[in-house]
Amino acid sequence: MKCRICNKKAVEKYCSLHTKAYKNIVQKYDEWTAATGISWKEYLNEVAANSNTGLWAKEVAERLLSETE
Amino acid sequence: MVAKYKLILCAVEGEGALVEKYILVVTEKPDAASRIARALDSVGKPEKIEDDGVPYYVAQRDRKIVVAPALGHLYTVVHERGKRNYYPVLNLKWAPRHTAERGAKEIRKWVKAFSKLSKDAEVFVDACDYDLEGSLIGYSILKYACGDKEKVAKRMKYSTLTKTELEKAYENPLPHLDFGLIEAGRTRHEVDWLYGVNLSRALTLAAKRHSGRYATLSTGRVQGPTLKLLVGREKAIRSYVPKPYWIISTEVEIDGAPYEVEYAQKEIKKRVNADAIVKTCKAKTGDVKEINVRRYQQNPPTPFDLSALQTQAYSLFGYTPRRTSGIAERLYLQALISYPRTSSQRLPPAINYRAILKGLKKSRAYKSLASELLEKDELKPREGKKTDPAHPAIYPTGNLSEEKLSEPERRLWDLIVRRFMAVFGEKAVKQSMKVSIEVEGHVFYLRGRQVIKEGWMHFYEPYVRSEEVFLPAIKEGDRIAIKNIEREDKFTSPPPRYNPSSMLKKMEKVGIGTKATRADIIQTLYNRKYITDERIRVTDLGFDIVDTLQRYAPGVISARFTHTLEEKMGRIESGNEKRETVLLETVESLKPQLERFKDKEPTIGEELSEAIRKSRLQERIVGSCPTCGSGQLMILYSRKTRKRFLGCTNYFKGLCETSFPLPQRGTAKPLRKECSACGWPLILVRAKGKRPWRLCFNPDCPRKEERKRRNEMQNLQQKSS
Repeated sequence: MKCRICNKKAVEKYCSLHTKAYKNIVQKYDEWTAATGISWKEYLNEVAANSNTGLWAKEVAERLLSETE
Repeated sequence: MVAKYKLILCAVEGEGALVEKYILVVTEKPDAASRIARALDSVGKPEKIEDDGVPYYVAQRDRKIVVAPALGHLYTVVHERGKRNYYPVLNLKWAPRHTAERGAKEIRKWVKAFSKLSKDAEVFVDACDYDLEGSLIGYSILKYACGDKEKVAKRMKYSTLTKTELEKAYENPLPHLDFGLIEAGRTRHEVDWLYGVNLSRALTLAAKRHSGRYATLSTGRVQGPTLKLLVGREKAIRSYVPKPYWIISTEVEIDGAPYEVEYAQKEIKKRVNADAIVKTCKAKTGDVKEINVRRYQQNPPTPFDLSALQTQAYSLFGYTPRRTSGIAERLYLQALISYPRTSSQRLPPAINYRAILKGLKKSRAYKSLASELLEKDELKPREGKKTDPAHPAIYPTGNLSEEKLSEPERRLWDLIVRRFMAVFGEKAVKQSMKVSIEVEGHVFYLRGRQVIKEGWMHFYEPYVRSEEVFLPAIKEGDRIAIKNIEREDKFTSPPPRYNPSSMLKKMEKVGIGTKATRADIIQTLYNRKYITDERIRVTDLGFDIVDTLQRYAPGVISARFTHTLEEKMGRIESGNEKRETVLLETVESLKPQLERFKDKEPTIGEELSEAIRKSRLQERIVGSCPTCGSGQLMILYSRKTRKRFLGCTNYFKGLCETSFPLPQRGTAKPLRKECSACGWPLILVRAKGKRPWRLCFNPDCPRKEERKRRNEMQNLQQKSS
């Protein structure tokens, strides 16, 4: 199986590097909702647009957004 | 010791020798040889002789002294026999560098010169730098070029190239070479060779056998773990997800002047709470509840060791550690500073603080500062914990430059001089003030700070920054009005990228590499294109190298393993470990890892070839296409004409036909910087016989118009004149 983002060998949906970024996104959502009360989709938009977000996390957020649309 | 030299001469004369025998002094570099010869010659004017392009000096003292320079290492570790296209290679020997390295043809002449000079030499003195590399340079010349003279040679030990110290070192040499240091040096070179050659060959051959194309891939005992540290940081940055928090930005008014105050809680985790604070405190007035004044002393800095100098030079002047090292080396060779490759933070009284300050006093720039220190009854430097068995901390010799220094040399020398003076300064006294203001149950702090007594800071200006914040007269119970209060949205930041200076510090902390090699290791990672940019980014190729080594030879990129090896080599220096044991352990750990690597060679080759291909493509990408925005502009070659040009990657999808011409002569590389006039990416063009040229390929760049007008004006002026 190949990573849905970079075509490298995938662990599940993503390669090991994008999986790490995906896990970070999921893990941080609780803190974002506690702080701002935003929805998952709003959260993904925020993460994708934030200049402090890492490249892989941004790619995963964009991918997740495109999948929800 | 003079008597000893003379006795030997008498013995030679007694044997009826016809040729005048001499003392051969082996030095590390031509500059050092010249300075040593001048110091040892009784009138300071040694005769310079050149033999087949190799300079050496003949000095006259109580007897004839020949001072001959090396060119750094003349000998290196090589494969005992065999071809270049296989691994593991475990049999090694020491050989002249010209037999092993392509760019080292010149070395042949230097080896020959030493062999020739050694024939009529009676006494051999090693005067190379007193450290691991210097000792090894001297040892290998004495052993191989001079024919086993390492056993009888004496050792000059000095930390500065000043006349006084060189004469002292010559008159009182150590009776034999520093064999502990030499053994440690030999082991380090041999271990590094075993790692470097085998792993680099494994990587390069794996890629070449798969793709058929050659690309140099390298790793090494220190290079691998260093790259792994960088990859770890890059992964953390690239997968980083920021968290939101809020701060309360507040301004108060005191006696008609605005002052910034900070909310007691630095970070507020929920937006609603931040909004509530702003709402409660807006346009309110608070009471001064408490005023805390704290007076504290600040010690002078410690003297510079090499890494502290490199860090400071990077933060003040932006010099990379490697550049600083090179400048410091030049200052040392001009006898302006002591030996810079030291890890000591100590300045022993033997260096004679007063004599140095008296020397510095002769310079107008330091006259008043040096005089101030010389008035003290006692000069006691503040010292750090770090020591070095061979050299003290870096200090100015007190000599003033005979020639005009280049700007970087002048800056670094000034920094070293001022730091030296600062360590003798008094403690600085500072005062901080914290005013607590309570507004509707919320606490804000107004902070002030000032320098009460400058102390050492006075000697270290302009390199010490002290931003003072003066507060107006305030007392408890005063009423202070909030002028402006706002919520500021903030996000946590990823860990910072390493730069060459912070990476050097990290390597030192983890215990990999030595003070002499760390800066070069970082540079090698740049040269191999594993990392890029000043704020270091790991390239895809760098990721793939670490990934491959992690999977198939994890031991070789482990920082802990390298650190353990460093410790063992340190024990060799003190005589508590044997070179043979360390070499054997290295081979035993390396062999199974290389075998595993070989088993997986086709897979590794495929992965690395793909990484190289991507890296080569990446190198040619200049930036986003200004026309379509979604494609990338890339340096391409026309199939028909073979000419190079810039084209959009979307051309291959039939979406964009943007292209720009490029100069055909020389090399053209993306500069990774934008044009300050139009913002388009720049290209760096290098052509033979011309200065490198920054090309903005935007045909409508305002700078082009400017240049055109300027040229026209110049032409008109020329015509009219």
